[in-house]
Amino acid sequence: MTEPAPPAARRRPRTAAETVPPPAAPAPSGDPAVPYLLDFYPREGPSETRLTPFFETLRRGRLSTTRCRRDGALLWPPRLACPRCHTSDLEWIDLPGTGHVYAFSAVLAGAPLGMERDVPLVVGLVDLDGVPMRIFGRIVGRPWTECRVGLPVTVEPFDVPGGRVFYRFRATPSDA
Amino acid sequence: MTTGRAVAVVGGVTGPWGVRDLTWPELAEEIGAALYAAVPALASETPDSLFVGAAQPERFAFQSHVAPLAAEHLGIFPTRVVQRTELACASGQSAIRSAYAAIASGLSDVAVAVGIEKMNLPSMAEANTSMACVLDRAWDGPHGATAPPFFAMVAQRHMLEHGTTEEMLAAVSEKNHRFANANPTAQFHAKTFSREKLMRMPLVAPPLKLGDCSSMTDGAAAVVLAARDRVRRFTDAPAWVRGTGQSADFHNLANAGPLTDWAGLRRASGEALDGAGISVEALDFAELHDCFTISEIVEYEMLGLCARGEGGRFALDGRSDLGGDLVVNPRGGLLGCGHPLGATGIAQAVEVFDQFAGRTPAARRVPDPDWALVHNLSGSANVHSVMVYGREAPPA
Repeated sequence: MTEPAPPAARRRPRTAAETVPPPAAPAPSGDPAVPYLLDFYPREGPSETRLTPFFETLRRGRLSTTRCRRDGALLWPPRLACPRCHTSDLEWIDLPGTGHVYAFSAVLAGAPLGMERDVPLVVGLVDLDGVPMRIFGRIVGRPWTECRVGLPVTVEPFDVPGGRVFYRFRATPSDA
Repeated sequence: MTTGRAVAVVGGVTGPWGVRDLTWPELAEEIGAALYAAVPALASETPDSLFVGAAQPERFAFQSHVAPLAAEHLGIFPTRVVQRTELACASGQSAIRSAYAAIASGLSDVAVAVGIEKMNLPSMAEANTSMACVLDRAWDGPHGATAPPFFAMVAQRHMLEHGTTEEMLAAVSEKNHRFANANPTAQFHAKTFSREKLMRMPLVAPPLKLGDCSSMTDGAAAVVLAARDRVRRFTDAPAWVRGTGQSADFHNLANAGPLTDWAGLRRASGEALDGAGISVEALDFAELHDCFTISEIVEYEMLGLCARGEGGRFALDGRSDLGGDLVVNPRGGLLGCGHPLGATGIAQAVEVFDQFAGRTPAARRVPDPDWALVHNLSGSANVHSVMVYGREAPPA
């Protein structure tokens, strides 16, 4: 990874679509439309973050993260510096698109703003296949009463209104 | 560890907790008046420092810079240190730890640590959003990560790995609610919860039910801490800070490791007990952070009160009850008292002070205690804060 340029002193002006979050559209299939706890304005572009490669890779369908070139540490979330050896010599690597549920629960009450209409929503920690990484995410495609520890899931990038992209897990359909 | 000058809690008070008809500054005024009534020596012994435990006033009360706001409403005008402490669910203990450090170092002689939180809002979804921001808001929050589903996953793994049952969870809740029944400041004061009633409650985040979760609470509490040479001006029955320990291991849930192994608590409690020069067997009671029933069960195990995996059985068999191995949460815990984030750690210290002074109602009084341990976790149990109090002063 080359040394990133310092952030521009003046940020580009935001468009109206960026500064005003669009109203949350009804979710036709129980899938999330706008995860409310994303930043209130887009912060995925190069004038806002140095983690833009993560979102660009996600748009191409893959989850990715940073790995430390010096000590090999696989880091989540992606970072600018390795917290183990305290250097910034990191590289981007793609992550597996499948995994298995280590633990899960469902939000049946007490949902944050914008998520109330999605209740019950399933969340869990997923062990990605073949790498020592367990990441948290929403799990869709299966009611919580039919989920179980060990359930196979796939990584599913999705578009967020306002031009952003995020990810979730989908229960593998063949796993009845 | 311990360091510097000896420090003791020399007085304190907990206000009425629950869904209150008071704003954040009004909670400050209420607890200030209560503190000056409970600690008459404050009339002549002016505090030189003020520490304000408050987790989220920016969101819950739309107010930052709350330390001077509290100072004005309490009528305490510091000359040494004025500071707010924020450590989510451990913000209150963080205020006490900061006061302890200031006094131990010689910077302060007499300090007030107050905790204030206003959590019940017209929109509970707004309040829940605030709570969600305790976790990694950018990477975990947008998926729906809040405290209940996280601790539900801990419970799920504990059940899977160790055979822990919903009845064992209910045993923790029943015990703590029973103590809270006899605590007039508790949110669930004078209310009865049987194991059967708790097990019939609706699910919040499976396998956790409503009775497994601490509640959203408005409340405040305050303590006075003093240096060794000032202690006797306040009381003949102080609670001496004898040991402290703290750990912070991760923030994003990806880095939590095995959910049922809270190594940070083993380290923090070991450090605090070593500082006091005692082992866990010497404790007479413990105030543990039962934000959820499963938390208290894992905490038994990490403290070494029982073997790994045996925490549920430990509760079910009454070994954490009065008359058991170690009384846990005689105050009523977070489950029974409610959990106003910034005030909880302060109220636990008030409980230690009251128990040492023999002032506690008989239904929840620990017989003749000499040693107590206070624990708060914060966030996803990624931070553990522990203090050990003794009735005897440390050696000079």
